[in-house]
Amino acid sequence: MSTPVASIAKLLTQPTSGERARQRINWGMRVIVGVAAFLAILPLIALILFVILKAAPYLVPTFFFNNPLDKEPGVLNAIVGSLQLSGLTVLISGPIGIAGGVYLSEFASPRVVAIGETVIDVMLGVPSIVAGVFAYLILVPVLGFSGWAAVAALSILTLPIMMRSTQEVLRLVPQAIREASLALGVPVWKTALFVSVRTALPGILTGVILAFSRALGETAPLLMTARGTNAENWLDFSTTMNAMPIVIYQYSNAASDLLIGQAWATALILMVIALTINVLVRGRTVNSRTA
Amino acid sequence: MAGMELRRVGGMSADTLFRRITGTGLLILFVVLAGLIVAFVGYSNPLWTIQSPIEFLTSSTWSTGTIDESGQTVDALYGALGALFGTAATSLIAVLFAAPIGILAAIFLVEFAPPRIAAPLTFIVELIAAIPSVVFGLWAAGDLSNRLRDTIEWWIASSFGRFLPFLSEDPESPAADSVFRAGFLLAIMILPMVVAVSREFIRSVPISLREGYIGMGATKWEVIRDVILPTARIGLIGGVLLALGRAIGETIAVTMVIGNAEGVPSSLFQPGQTVASKIASNIGEASGEIAIGAMAALGLSLFLLTTVISLVVRVLVRRFAVTGGRV
Amino acid sequence: MATEKRDTENATTGAKDELAQAAARPAAQAAQRASASEGDSGRLTLDNVSARYGAFRAVKDVTLAVRPKSVTALIGPSGCGKSTLIRTINRMHETLPGATVSGSISLDGVDLYSSDVDPVRARRVVGMVFQKPNPFPTMSISENVSSGLRLTGGTSKSEIAGIVEDSLRRAALWDEVKDKLNQPGTSLSGGQQQRLCIARTIAVKPRVVLMDEPCSALDPVATLKIEELIRDLATEYTIVIVTHNMQQASRVSDETAFFSMDDDRAGYLVETGPTAEMFTNPKQALTEGYIQGRFG
Repeated sequence: MSTPVASIAKLLTQPTSGERARQRINWGMRVIVGVAAFLAILPLIALILFVILKAAPYLVPTFFFNNPLDKEPGVLNAIVGSLQLSGLTVLISGPIGIAGGVYLSEFASPRVVAIGETVIDVMLGVPSIVAGVFAYLILVPVLGFSGWAAVAALSILTLPIMMRSTQEVLRLVPQAIREASLALGVPVWKTALFVSVRTALPGILTGVILAFSRALGETAPLLMTARGTNAENWLDFSTTMNAMPIVIYQYSNAASDLLIGQAWATALILMVIALTINVLVRGRTVNSRTA
Repeated sequence: MAGMELRRVGGMSADTLFRRITGTGLLILFVVLAGLIVAFVGYSNPLWTIQSPIEFLTSSTWSTGTIDESGQTVDALYGALGALFGTAATSLIAVLFAAPIGILAAIFLVEFAPPRIAAPLTFIVELIAAIPSVVFGLWAAGDLSNRLRDTIEWWIASSFGRFLPFLSEDPESPAADSVFRAGFLLAIMILPMVVAVSREFIRSVPISLREGYIGMGATKWEVIRDVILPTARIGLIGGVLLALGRAIGETIAVTMVIGNAEGVPSSLFQPGQTVASKIASNIGEASGEIAIGAMAALGLSLFLLTTVISLVVRVLVRRFAVTGGRV
Repeated sequence: MATEKRDTENATTGAKDELAQAAARPAAQAAQRASASEGDSGRLTLDNVSARYGAFRAVKDVTLAVRPKSVTALIGPSGCGKSTLIRTINRMHETLPGATVSGSISLDGVDLYSSDVDPVRARRVVGMVFQKPNPFPTMSISENVSSGLRLTGGTSKSEIAGIVEDSLRRAALWDEVKDKLNQPGTSLSGGQQQRLCIARTIAVKPRVVLMDEPCSALDPVATLKIEELIRDLATEYTIVIVTHNMQQASRVSDETAFFSMDDDRAGYLVETGPTAEMFTNPKQALTEGYIQGRFG
């Protein structure tokens, strides 16, 4: 054995075999993961800049207040249509989704919870085009191309989102609060509504708003249901309706530069609305989570 | 007691009533799922009167046939191989790029970035998920696609195109649209999902394990390589599968850059189509129960694919919760 | 009655004033004693060590000499910075965001915080066993033990197998696991897992082994086994153990260092000395009070 005193100093101050390589790999990987993180946000930056650049010349005030066939063309009917479609979608799928989430969290047996969660997982994975085809096959033959068919397709997509988010925020409500309420003799339904749901309400509303934002951006299901129109449509869901994604898609294929420019402008409007909703909602959740 | 008058409604206690009302919400979801299955199976059924599902899966000919003198449609054949190939190719390309970059970025966010940088960066990555797919499509068609053609695609084609199948491209006149570019766009679109899920699972690896290995004289990267990634493995695979499912179903963005060409392309740098893009671009013209049946069959294949992925992920994540990580 | 007690304490303190002053500058003396008595390796000296989490100072000006090849127990009320202090010794403390160390810690005269000591290297010389057994769940029993060796490489497969067996024997675990070396480390009981972690730590031949409440998650039988093992390992390693359990400190340690915390919740060293003396005849009233269970 070598003299231990010397060997400690040596062990501490002299690099072991392969240590330099290990440190180099460590630093190399540090750089690589940093670059990966940069690459992950690069597309967002590139996309936003490019859309702004392309959209800016076409984004004049009249664009917001005119309709496609007006002398100064605009997308008012598409903005209105998108808000109506997404709004009604949330009005329909919201209560149903929240109710289902409450049931799963407050009443369902473990077996039903397992089945319910599996069904939610499957429904969350359903591609939007599949919901669109479903509405196209079942509803369009009966109702024609219409807002109703579009709302049905969008509701299929937002329903599981809302049910999942409701169930998850309710799960965060401490059991002790429920028990305290029940112990006071408050009936189960009142406890569920005025204690559990009340406590989780901000989270549930966040889910509703995010579902609204999701519905706002859907395109494929709208193309085969609401179809798009040049007319202004206020609250008549029985006929065709315009929507921003429809405008973007259809104009992007157009031969005219003017229409393509309008597609970019509409894309910027849609993107700003979607991002604003997400920044407001998620920004709040992030803050409350760290606080 | 307050609420006494609500206690019984039509001989039913308020609790039972509330329970039934909320239960109906869940029931509606079940009915919708059942409705989807019944509709797609039912509407695709007429197709199987003229051809077998095997032909549907293995033929790359998609022909609505011709009408003979007696007014009968003849020689119709609906083979989805081209679309299935496009779906497989685009979603695998997407995962090939998004999985490593997404997992590495998640490692950076959880393990390396100081909190002051990690929080806003995570937020920005999450925002990508909020951008509507039609905007991605527009951007790709107007800008990204050309850049990819002139950089990555050109590089791959000129380096490997001569001796690897599916990677050749005529450098003089590259195609206006390509399967590869659609796949790369999908990679960008599913990236936030990979990052978000990976981040959750990496974070769930207990600090005691990290410290144990650091205490053994491991570098930070060695902790990640030998402890964190193996422990979080199942969750990471689940996240990538979930993202794969999203890529398979993505429609409008792909439709805008893939070129929507029939059949199996000779190269990934040629235009093609996916199951979803084929539905989107063909459903308007489909008439008659057989042509509609072919559309329903495409929808059914998408539905089955994504359902299988959802179920596999569910099983994986459950196994993770039972065995892995949480010591 | 309370007043009476305090009076007695004050009296005791007054009587031992001289001794207390001597204890207040133990570092120089202890270091002298250590270097005079033995030129053995593993002499750990802490000089004016402070540890912070951001602006909060968790450990304040600790000066302490640890005798080589012996067990030194760090005791004191919870929150007094004992765990933070031992985590500064293997440079584990600095891995937490915002955590900093000042003062100096040296091992056989080499400052562990000097620029030519890499923290990764320091942690191989100063091993650590944690509060909760933490075998790596994706590694088998033998892989857990060999994990440190495989990091540096340069050890052949057969050598590794030999070291795995030696380390497991040394940790009194070999007989229990020799037939299932390829099973996951997490399949063992809590006490076995902790001995596996000890085997893993000594497999890389450290000179100092730090133990942060190694038995707090274990049942009494498993605790006793670990304590026997600690006594046994002290013939070869310098051991510093943090414990909440005073019986444990008196059973396993040669020296005891008692910590308390001041009004700013910063932990400081009250006194240190041979364990027998500390438990029967502590110099400081504070120590006596803690040992007799009056607080903490």
